[in-house]
Amino acid sequence: MNSTELALGQAYFWVCAALAVGGAISTVVAKNPIRSAMGLLMMILAIAGIYLALHAQFLAAIQLIVYAGAIVVLFIFVIMLLGPDATPPHDKRGQVTRTAGAVVFGAAGIAAMSLIVRTAPPIAKHRLLADAPTDFGSVEAFGRILFTDALVPFELSSALLMVAIIGAVAVARGHHKSDARRAREATPTAAAPALGLTPSADLLRQPGAATNPLTSSAQTTEQGAST
Amino acid sequence: MALAFILSPLLVIAAGGMLLMLAEAFAKPGRRGGLALGATMIFAAGFAFSIGVWMYGVEDVPERAMLAPWLQIDRFTIFFDAVLCLGGALAALLAGGYLPEHELERGEFYVLLLFATVGAMMLAAAGDVLIVFLGLETMSIGAYAITAFRRTSPRSAEGALKYFLLGAFAAALLLYGFALLYGATGHTDLAGIGEAVKKGGEKTPMMMIALVLVLVGLLFKVSAVPFHMWTPDAYEGAPTPATTYMAAVVKAGGFAMLLRVLLTCFGDKASMSWAAGWPPALAWIAVITMTVANLVAGQQESVKRMLAYSSIAHAGYLLVGVVACMHSPSQGVSSVLFYLLTYTVSTAGAFGALIYCGSRGKEAVTYEDLAGIGRRHPPAALAFSLFLISLAGLPPTAGFFGKWFVFRAAIDSGFYALTVVAFLNSVIGVYYYLRVMVFMYMREPAAGAPVATPMRSGYVTAALLLSAILVILLGIVPNQSLDMAIKAASVFGG
Repeated sequence: MNSTELALGQAYFWVCAALAVGGAISTVVAKNPIRSAMGLLMMILAIAGIYLALHAQFLAAIQLIVYAGAIVVLFIFVIMLLGPDATPPHDKRGQVTRTAGAVVFGAAGIAAMSLIVRTAPPIAKHRLLADAPTDFGSVEAFGRILFTDALVPFELSSALLMVAIIGAVAVARGHHKSDARRAREATPTAAAPALGLTPSADLLRQPGAATNPLTSSAQTTEQGAST
Repeated sequence: MALAFILSPLLVIAAGGMLLMLAEAFAKPGRRGGLALGATMIFAAGFAFSIGVWMYGVEDVPERAMLAPWLQIDRFTIFFDAVLCLGGALAALLAGGYLPEHELERGEFYVLLLFATVGAMMLAAAGDVLIVFLGLETMSIGAYAITAFRRTSPRSAEGALKYFLLGAFAAALLLYGFALLYGATGHTDLAGIGEAVKKGGEKTPMMMIALVLVLVGLLFKVSAVPFHMWTPDAYEGAPTPATTYMAAVVKAGGFAMLLRVLLTCFGDKASMSWAAGWPPALAWIAVITMTVANLVAGQQESVKRMLAYSSIAHAGYLLVGVVACMHSPSQGVSSVLFYLLTYTVSTAGAFGALIYCGSRGKEAVTYEDLAGIGRRHPPAALAFSLFLISLAGLPPTAGFFGKWFVFRAAIDSGFYALTVVAFLNSVIGVYYYLRVMVFMYMREPAAGAPVATPMRSGYVTAALLLSAILVILLGIVPNQSLDMAIKAASVFGG
């Protein structure tokens, strides 16, 4: 690789990196949710560009299909379904703490990164990794590794997918009534107990607050009446 | 065949989970009572297979190498498989009583318990950071979902959301740490990282930052202070069987991951030294965890929240055992393993007794709710007292020997100050555990106050009987299980 190519590669990396960081920042700070989603899209595209520079074409394609193609689109659907009024009222509580937390965390991260960059020996000198095979990053090479060397984690990831699907179903079905309640409501004699919603009081400061909204609605109303 | 045999605990639970899902799908509505029994039987089968593999011995199975470097099946793994199955079985039995009583009976709960346990077993067997991450996520997503199981309750949703967001954040930090480790060593398998760290001699800043990030991720999962913020809310908001599962199985899985990663990747002399390694950091975190958790637990008015803080405090005692690995890994690890076994049965029993003391609309939540239970319902109060005595670490129960071996390991390694702090903390613990008993036996409910009525459920009774028998057996004849823990710990060498 001659020096012009190297410089071009460097320039390409810096452009992608700048776009990714810019996209990430605009995702976090944008007030408009659509703008946030677009910032996320920009970050995802820029990271796919970095993958391309690393000869990971397959990973770049997957990044585009899954993240840009599915996840961002899903976000935008949700934002559109909720409508433009869905932005929450601006919450001033704890703004100082939040800003301070972000600054401290960001400073610590930058300090850690600069420490690493300054002191780490250049990888080229150390040659930690063997030379990449010629077909590195292609679909064929990826598939071969997935079904030979990495068969065990590949099979085990099915448990992760399974638990994610069932978990999503379990949480989404949480609003539906259980069999028992449905059966009981079918018989008109038994009345379902009223669902009392307690405010999520901090128990540290408010000892004796009701913990279970299903059971202690009466108790909290009493407390409310007495205070 | 031999491969399937040594993997059988994991495979049985995974296949059982899928069968249970089919059974749930084809069961007639209203006739799903058998699912809890099915889940319990699957966990029991997993336990039986672990014992079988243990008896047969895994050292002489050459097929073990086929799983390298991804999975390490050794006695440590098998011991954890058995403990995890035991905790899962107790949680499934408690769910069998609790969910119908509180009208939450939906089959997903049991399937989630089973698959989350598969994740915890992956953590115990992990030999590569990829498997660590897969197992961690499988276990955690299951735990998030069962925390949010009662979604109509804002408290459950709040706890689950906190747990989910902070858990995702901690997983990201852990992953960042792993990425830096890969950058520093060029390996993703734990043994390879360990070799490279050993050869690396002096520590580069990159390695230190990676270690810090990995430690944060690991300590979050075992809910050590200051990474415990999610614990009280998630434990309190979740349905009580889910809390039991988190306190028993998720905590055991977290410690399996902690021991594997720390002792394999950072198990060399330099990383384990007091001057330049992780032991001082863990020792301080253990001190803070025990002290903060015990002091806050004493101020709680909700028994469930008190038990949540008590589980944080127990993570502190367990960390004392991990710190004791500095001088003799085998003694430290064996004390942690035995403690986890005793803690699993005691905490599952305590949450089970809390479930047993209440029924729909008359749940036992605060200390006041438990007033006079000892007179009105002696068996419930007796069972609760037994498990609280075990959690407090008083003889002749399992908890006594658990604490005894951890403190003994710390003293043998020369951590006198740490042992004194841990001992003082367990004295504080006795205060709030005994307070429950004072309320149960010596107080009467105020006139007109709502009183908790025990539920009638064969499942919960069975869970309480099983844990009570184990608590007493482990407290009287701990020899055999301790021998097993010592054998399991020997994989980490002298």
